[in-house]
Amino acid sequence: MLGKLFKYEWKGFRFPMLIMLIVLAGTTVLTCSVIITINPRYDETFTWYSVMALMLSVFLYYFGIIGCSLGVLLIIAIRFYKTCYTDQGYLTHTLPVSTQKILNVKIISSAAAVLLLILAVAGSLFIIAHVGINHILTILIAESHGTLEDIAEARRVFFNEMSTVLTEFEDELGISLGMYLVYMVVYFLIAVIANVVTILGCVSLGQLYTKHRIIGAIIAYFVVQFILKMLGYFASMPMYAKLMRVDSYYEEYTAFGIASPTMNLALLFSVIMAVVMYFINLHMMTKKLNLE
Amino acid sequence: MNNNNDNPMTPQQDNSASAYPQQNSNPVPFTQQDNGSAYTQQNGSPSPYTQQENSAPLYAQKESSIGAYVQQPQMYAGDPAPAAPLLQLNDLCKRYPGMGSYMSVFHMNLIIPRGRIIGLLGPNGCGKSTLIKMINGLLTPTSGNVLINGLNPCAATKKIISYLPERTYLDNSMKVSQMVGYFADFYEDFSTEKAFQMLSALGINTEARLKTLSKGTKEKVQLILVMSRHADLYILDEPIAGVDPAARDYILRTIITNYNPGSTILLSTHLISDIENILDDVIFMKNGSLMLYTSVDSIRSQMGKSVDTYFREVYAC
Repeated sequence: MLGKLFKYEWKGFRFPMLIMLIVLAGTTVLTCSVIITINPRYDETFTWYSVMALMLSVFLYYFGIIGCSLGVLLIIAIRFYKTCYTDQGYLTHTLPVSTQKILNVKIISSAAAVLLLILAVAGSLFIIAHVGINHILTILIAESHGTLEDIAEARRVFFNEMSTVLTEFEDELGISLGMYLVYMVVYFLIAVIANVVTILGCVSLGQLYTKHRIIGAIIAYFVVQFILKMLGYFASMPMYAKLMRVDSYYEEYTAFGIASPTMNLALLFSVIMAVVMYFINLHMMTKKLNLE
Repeated sequence: MNNNNDNPMTPQQDNSASAYPQQNSNPVPFTQQDNGSAYTQQNGSPSPYTQQENSAPLYAQKESSIGAYVQQPQMYAGDPAPAAPLLQLNDLCKRYPGMGSYMSVFHMNLIIPRGRIIGLLGPNGCGKSTLIKMINGLLTPTSGNVLINGLNPCAATKKIISYLPERTYLDNSMKVSQMVGYFADFYEDFSTEKAFQMLSALGINTEARLKTLSKGTKEKVQLILVMSRHADLYILDEPIAGVDPAARDYILRTIITNYNPGSTILLSTHLISDIENILDDVIFMKNGSLMLYTSVDSIRSQMGKSVDTYFREVYAC
């Protein structure tokens, strides 16, 4: 039965997610198009144009990613509201499946949708970086009347430099690149799931305002975000404390050593909030369900 | 015949009588006297439904024909435990938040047996839909409980209940054929063949998306999906309210044709004349309370009236 729930949940996400991915792809192509018009020659006309093009590409990409991220969060919230609390809720809540299973499937599917977007953004960034680096190298070589071999050589040198930076990563941050990647992946997974549970919980909390359920959900979201921000300030205290000690006593701290306690605390607060929201959600979907 | 004071399905309940005054903000016109024999209006004036010899309304009688099919057989030592009733309501109450002390469903006790087509009748706002939602687990009772085959509403009870809400509740973005697949995936007792047969008989394009269909056609699709299950209990909430008379005939025909004699259909409506010919029993509700649960034959034979006429008399404004 769980498999069937996943199947229909994904079917529901398929079309709106496809639109978001198309928007992201369009943004990536546009950004790349703007980047390849940049010419780093130092003359007045090209410098002005290149600076403008660089700014345009950054803005375009930034708003494209923000739009897609907000779009996916909205898709998740709207789909949850529609399938659980509008007329379609009659279908969802009369399926021969426990409410907890329905909620779990919705959380996992929504988290998967967010992770899909994160992967797509990572892919998009890689493409933009690749196009940008190649373009700049090509122009620089062309300016110095270099050959194709020179371009290949310049690219090799650049990536060698990059690998040197990565090998020095542990010295700079105080954690090996592999461990850092594992840490970030786990961190993001937990953060994404906690965020999704919080959003769905806010939609459920909004149902308490029976006459203005959507406004209720939005208010609940802002209240929860305010609480999380306040907790975030507490979470950042260890970081500030360490930074002050670095300045005062010249103690040896790595960047990861300074930032990780704050990151861990912030994640812990998010997880606690998510656990609370999960049980609120379950309570609302079982004891307080009131379909119109 | 037995004295129904111990019987959970009759309106002559001590708990009902004692609890009525709680709804002072919304006076209930009928209340039980201490002797438990009749209902009178709360203001003390004689009720038109006070029991009188030979002409007493059925809901005011201490012994009615309903007792014939709610009596439990006498049990002997060593007998196997009797099967739980298909549906049992025990002192069921529902109060919505923000409604003060008003109860939408008020101390209802009821046992629904198998193999009946039962009309759940009452004016708008009398608590029919609230009751149905509680049976389907869509609302949590304020007090009391609902038992389906002896179980509180849960995934297991949803397997044996086929519910048609009064709303169009299907996913509009899906095609009719996809919706059939959806029901087939989730309900083991769903017959795809039967569903496609009925859809074809009605000339509904199974490749059409639901959002392209008219409201009446959507309601037909919903009914077909619900009636294509081999459920123990069908609960149909206002299945004919929003459709034209021709469609009503079709819907009623569908209900009769697909009715499994071992199942029970609980059909809520206020369009009584359209459905009374298919009903075995009727439940009258008023102000969230059970007024009467009796057979259609009893109303016809004892009162000499159709259910529709009797309903109009009971609920006359």
